Amino acid sequence: MLKRGVAPVCLLLALVSCQDALEENPRDIVAENYYNTAAELETAINAVYTPLRNGSFIGNYLAPLDAHTEWGYGRGSRAVFNDFQGLNTTWANSVGGVWGLFYLSIRNANYILMNAPDAPAVSDGDKARFMAEARFLRAFSYFHLVRAWGAVPIRTEDNMADKDIPRSTVESVYELIVDDLLYAGANLPTDQSDVGRPTTYAAKTMLADVYLNMQKYGEARDLAKEVMDASKFSLVPITTPDDIATDIWGPDVLTTTEEIFYLKFARQLGQGNFIAWVLNHPSTGLFNFGGSYAHYSDATIPFYKNWNDNDLRKGLWNKVNFGLGDATLVSRKFVDQSAASQNDSGIDQPMYRYAEVLLIYAEAATRAAGGPTPEAVEALNKVHRRAYGQDQNVPSAFDLNIADYDENSFVDKVIEELGYEFIFEGKRWFELKRTGKAAALILANRGKVIAEKHYLFPIPLSELNFNDAINQEDQNPGY
Amino acid sequence: MKAAIIPIITILATSGVVLATESWGQEVLDKKISLDVRNQELVVVLGEIERAARIRFVYSPQVIPVSNEVSLRANNDTLGDVLKKLFDPYRVVFEAIDDQIVLRKEDRRQTGALDRIITGQVADENGAPLPGVSILVKGTGMGTATDADGRYSLSVLTEHEKSVLIFSFIGYATQEVPIGDKTSIDIRMTPDIHELEQVVVVGYGIVKKRDITGSVSSVKGDLVNAYPSGDVMQALTGRAAGVEVVQNTGAPGPAVSVRIRGTNSIQGDNEPLYVVDGFPLSGQPVNLSNSDIESIEILKDASATAIYGSRGANGVVIITTKTGKSGEPTVSFETSYSMQRLRKKLELMNASEYAQLFNIQAANDNIAPYFTQDQIDSFGEGTDWQDEVFQDAPMYTGSLTVNGGSDKTRFSLGGSIFQQDGIIKGSDFNRYSLRTKIDHDVSDKLSLQLSTILTRSTSGRKDSQSGSRGTSLVNSAITAPPTASPYNEDGTINDVSTAHPFVVPDMTNPLYFINEESTNIRENIVFANAAFIYKPIRNFSIKISGGVENTDSRSDIFRTREFRNSDGIAEIQVSSVTSLLSENTISYNNTFSDRHTVSAVVGYTYQHFQTEGFNARSQGFLSDVFQTSNLGAASSPGIPQSNFIESAILSWLGRVNYSYRDKYLLTASFRADGSSRFSEGNKWGYFPSAAVAWRLSEEDFLKSSKVVSDLKIRASWGVTGSQAINPYATLNRLDAGNTIFGNSLYVTFAPGTTLPSDLKWETTEQFDAGVDLGILNDRIVVSADYFVKNTRDLLNIVRLPSSMGFTQTIQNVGGVQNKGVELSINAHIVSRPNFNWNASVNTTFLSNKVTKLAGGQDILTNSVSVLILNDNVGILREGRPIGQFFGYLEDGYTDQGKIKYLDLTGDGLITADDKTYIGNPNPDMIFGLNSSVSYKNFELSFFIQGTVGNDIFNVSSAPSTLDYGQGLNGPKDVLTDHWTPENPNAKYPKISRQSSVEVSDRFVEDGSYIRLKNIQLAYNIPVQKSNWIRRFQVYVSGQNLLTGTDYSWWDPEVNTKGLGTNRGIDHYSYPTTKSYTVGLRAGF
Repeated sequence: MLKRGVAPVCLLLALVSCQDALEENPRDIVAENYYNTAAELETAINAVYTPLRNGSFIGNYLAPLDAHTEWGYGRGSRAVFNDFQGLNTTWANSVGGVWGLFYLSIRNANYILMNAPDAPAVSDGDKARFMAEARFLRAFSYFHLVRAWGAVPIRTEDNMADKDIPRSTVESVYELIVDDLLYAGANLPTDQSDVGRPTTYAAKTMLADVYLNMQKYGEARDLAKEVMDASKFSLVPITTPDDIATDIWGPDVLTTTEEIFYLKFARQLGQGNFIAWVLNHPSTGLFNFGGSYAHYSDATIPFYKNWNDNDLRKGLWNKVNFGLGDATLVSRKFVDQSAASQNDSGIDQPMYRYAEVLLIYAEAATRAAGGPTPEAVEALNKVHRRAYGQDQNVPSAFDLNIADYDENSFVDKVIEELGYEFIFEGKRWFELKRTGKAAALILANRGKVIAEKHYLFPIPLSELNFNDAINQEDQNPGY
Repeated sequence: MKAAIIPIITILATSGVVLATESWGQEVLDKKISLDVRNQELVVVLGEIERAARIRFVYSPQVIPVSNEVSLRANNDTLGDVLKKLFDPYRVVFEAIDDQIVLRKEDRRQTGALDRIITGQVADENGAPLPGVSILVKGTGMGTATDADGRYSLSVLTEHEKSVLIFSFIGYATQEVPIGDKTSIDIRMTPDIHELEQVVVVGYGIVKKRDITGSVSSVKGDLVNAYPSGDVMQALTGRAAGVEVVQNTGAPGPAVSVRIRGTNSIQGDNEPLYVVDGFPLSGQPVNLSNSDIESIEILKDASATAIYGSRGANGVVIITTKTGKSGEPTVSFETSYSMQRLRKKLELMNASEYAQLFNIQAANDNIAPYFTQDQIDSFGEGTDWQDEVFQDAPMYTGSLTVNGGSDKTRFSLGGSIFQQDGIIKGSDFNRYSLRTKIDHDVSDKLSLQLSTILTRSTSGRKDSQSGSRGTSLVNSAITAPPTASPYNEDGTINDVSTAHPFVVPDMTNPLYFINEESTNIRENIVFANAAFIYKPIRNFSIKISGGVENTDSRSDIFRTREFRNSDGIAEIQVSSVTSLLSENTISYNNTFSDRHTVSAVVGYTYQHFQTEGFNARSQGFLSDVFQTSNLGAASSPGIPQSNFIESAILSWLGRVNYSYRDKYLLTASFRADGSSRFSEGNKWGYFPSAAVAWRLSEEDFLKSSKVVSDLKIRASWGVTGSQAINPYATLNRLDAGNTIFGNSLYVTFAPGTTLPSDLKWETTEQFDAGVDLGILNDRIVVSADYFVKNTRDLLNIVRLPSSMGFTQTIQNVGGVQNKGVELSINAHIVSRPNFNWNASVNTTFLSNKVTKLAGGQDILTNSVSVLILNDNVGILREGRPIGQFFGYLEDGYTDQGKIKYLDLTGDGLITADDKTYIGNPNPDMIFGLNSSVSYKNFELSFFIQGTVGNDIFNVSSAPSTLDYGQGLNGPKDVLTDHWTPENPNAKYPKISRQSSVEVSDRFVEDGSYIRLKNIQLAYNIPVQKSNWIRRFQVYVSGQNLLTGTDYSWWDPEVNTKGLGTNRGIDHYSYPTTKSYTVGLRAGF
């Protein structure tokens, strides 16, 4: 408010100096006076999540990532992904917006890292906890950025105000990620009172995934093992396909034993998950606002045809002919019949769940040992058994037998399992790139050759045009 | 009003009869006055008496020797005695008629015999009786004046048979009528063509038009009120040179953009400052009705606008509402009824043509045909959705104004109603207003003024515009499949998205928007302004005024459960915008030695703005019965939002006008503004201006010219500013938000995406040179101006790399230049008692360019996102105009029928470097032409306006003519003129869902138009015989009846995104209407 009393005086008297009337005193918080207490730091760290929960992170990034796979298709303007010839202008701009969201989240994390050390009314323990959470989330964004765009500029609390920063190498981005996650793993608690904040296990799981990408299999195996040995997590048992959608991340569960790190959503206007609108088709009635079925699949491709019919996960596809033929498959994996609006389903979005920890372990242990180990096979079998409706801890007829596999064939099995398990969870394209399987699988299933430029998203114009340290020559190949 | 002293003398020299200054009274001759003058000219003494007794004299200069020097002393004597003493020596008699004292020569018998008496009535241009008109027998001293009913009776001599009667009255053309053998002569007077004597309102004062040194356009109330419009400014379209008024859409109610001398600002809004009765508004004058307006003045050059300092850069529009006059109350009643309809229907494919088109698409994309020939044949015409959406809509206006007063108090009361239904079913705008203006003289030294306007408006909006693929009302009205019926057999709305498998799921039946969704806005606007005027000593006047403008608005937005995929959404938005003003000025006026005239004003003002908003939204209702009346009944209540914004401006101002012998005129002004919006140390801005003018027509070598009646050249320079940024923009505020943990809501705080920075005023320096020319006794008046406006320290968005997390910051970098020529001509082509023809033309040539941008860096603007087309269509670049369209040039089609683009760089690739300038939305010229002919009781007037050289970027045509994979309907020529191997030079590419489209010259169309904006035929029913009716006019008129344009879509008068950097966009806008009106105007 303008200084009390000044306004009336200015209104009445002509000759009083009213300079004070020009002072701005908004009923708002100003950055200079903030970041002092634990409560204030908590609201600031909460803002790191907001960009990641944005509808375009889900709709323009996570879902389209699965249209680059051997089984994924995009409809309408998203059909361009299926050509595997790189992104057109529209999609370069759309994913460019997501680049902005990642960096917005990074900036908000950097605000914590810059301000928390000097916060006068915060204990050292709380400071470490907030900084660990910030570094976990910062690593999360950089891990996505480095896989989708390759070498990206690194912005930390030390250079966040600099306008022009060049692309760093992929290695140095990974270095930062590892550094952040090691700190997060050491300083995050084993339990969080707020469901959705990362624990030390979330940090270790992500770091295991990072090591897998860095081909540091021993480290990946050991971290995954740490999470498994904590005995805090287990796979959610299921008996029908729909149990997957309702019990593992569904709108009615608060958390599950399988949850390691999920983006949390609620059936509240502006606070829900966009994914249900993106994927559902109105004819199924699984989403109370219909759906745009922007992504779909096809029952005639080998991926689907070779899939065991007893696998409950296969039941997450509905055949819906919306003009493209009878073999069109629409997903029923993210459903909510009581969403608050078209954009606001209560479904949590899994980023890391225990099934992935098991499969990371299975792959990393096998790679590290040069062949499948009993523990590795058991880890995969747990995921496999659950998918067939079996008790995850009791050997079953669907188990893989260690004697049947060598290193490569077992890793192939893990990759196949990953494919079935994580449909529409944004994992597949990065797996195919990481394991070098993309070209072969996409040719086999889709008859398409992937253009070189398709492997990386273009650096968006919103960066290229305004960051003087990155020029057109620094652009990813083909753009 | 003070400026009247000198002009009296001039008027005496040029016209036959004079009314002096304003005054009021009954029984005036008994009024006591005191006076002491020595050796003054008689005319000066009369002026003193008028002031002292608050009366006015009506006389012919021949009656009394005005330049005789007299002395007079009165000490509380009655006016009658004083006048007797004064006039006796001259054998002049006087008679009081209301507040007027009519002076006549004593009736001296001549040699001839008194032959007969001529009687008659004199009326004004509207047929209302005109009192006080002087009637003289030419060449004699014999004469009389009309009484309160405009009647007169005059004795003439036989020898006068061949003479003529001269009827004269200030403000009206003198008329001469041969006496002949008539015994009764009725006359209708026509307004004087001496426009330069008219008074013009400027900032903090008034001035005679001929004394103006700056560039000011003036539009009288009757032109503003010429045809019904929901917005006072809309009525100004084409009326004044240099002023561009653009209707953004055809939606009912106010929706115009106004540009005075071009677009200055990239960041700020470019709307002028509106000042109503001295009060600077916080926005547009949406609370006013056309019938409330006395006059509108548009201040254009810096000499005129600099007195408004930091808010003057975009020009200033000064609106004066009607003011009361003393004397018998007058009552005016006006009403009109109009019928509006869609100006032009688009010619779309019918159902069978639509089916054919998509069979072609299927064939081209190697898909089995969607339809058999039998089906195609059976579809026939199908549904033209335009018929389902658009209607003929009525518009009604009515107003009643009462003016009147006594010698101490004048009042004007007005009530008005405006009711407009929109041509889209369910849209409307209604405004009801009550206006009061009271002037009261407490004593000779102290007077009070109070002006209030209370306005209530309600509107139903159906402006769901823009979008793509049937996602908005206007959009789906022309893209919905014609094969689908509007309703299902059970009466429910047909979900047309399922009509065919190839129809995009977004496609929304427009009837959902019309029947199952509503946005209702209610506004209560209070505008009140009060002033004390104190004149402690002669020539000084102190004015202390204060005012308030308050708009309370509430919007109720509701979507029923019947809307597609809806479980009921209700939202209420409430806002309160308040502005308080304190304005204190001291004015001084004086004339020394008959040649030095000085008027000056200094002042101090303070204005405070406050905005409070509240918004709540709920979704998921069990029943539609609640509408917006029970947000708590929803299953998903949203998070309520509220905000508070405050700002203030503190100012010092001063101005001096000086003129020497009416020949040399000088104006200088200065204003200092402090704004709360800017950074510490940069809050104050200083805005000087100066202007000179030379009235050559007062010089001896022109004074006697029969051709040139007035000639003035003038030049001005000055600096004005623009705040251009929102309050708090320089502060590092943290935005609040929410996130979820578990299933609970948590609060977030983080900076926004605009990085704050230190900011100061954006300033505009303007030079103006102009000439005003009156020819043949001002029968033709020409005014021409050349101006250059340079805006510096332009507040400009500077984009940041998105990896910063901040996407932009605002800095004082950049410059824009506008320069142009304005020309206006007013001509009284014929001016006779029963036949008048007036015409006026105004035209503006304008060019605009960006002179400087941050680091020379281009700024991409005008983002268009319609899925098939997703890019920026505009660019800000140094040396190019604001709003420049930027894209590819097309180069025919490939062998596959795809659009080919010109490879300007010649590198074999089509990249962003191949983009170039493809159009300019700024007109090279805008013009208006007004003609008004009256013959006896008939009046025919028309008004033509238009633009030349502006381009429109037709965004609508991208989805409608190129997005073939979505089942969208489109214009017929898509079917008849698309690419095939046999038709390689077609208008449209191959019909395939693989079509891809870039921003190109394809979408740029010439937006020039010429339009018959209004044509009116009126008949004044003769009412001279009536005692109580002054005027009774009936008329029929038509608006937008004829339009000449090459623009292919609904209407060239369209700006979906307003003016400024995003002008010239047509993106499924609410279309413009044409209308027919009948009305009447009556005075009692």
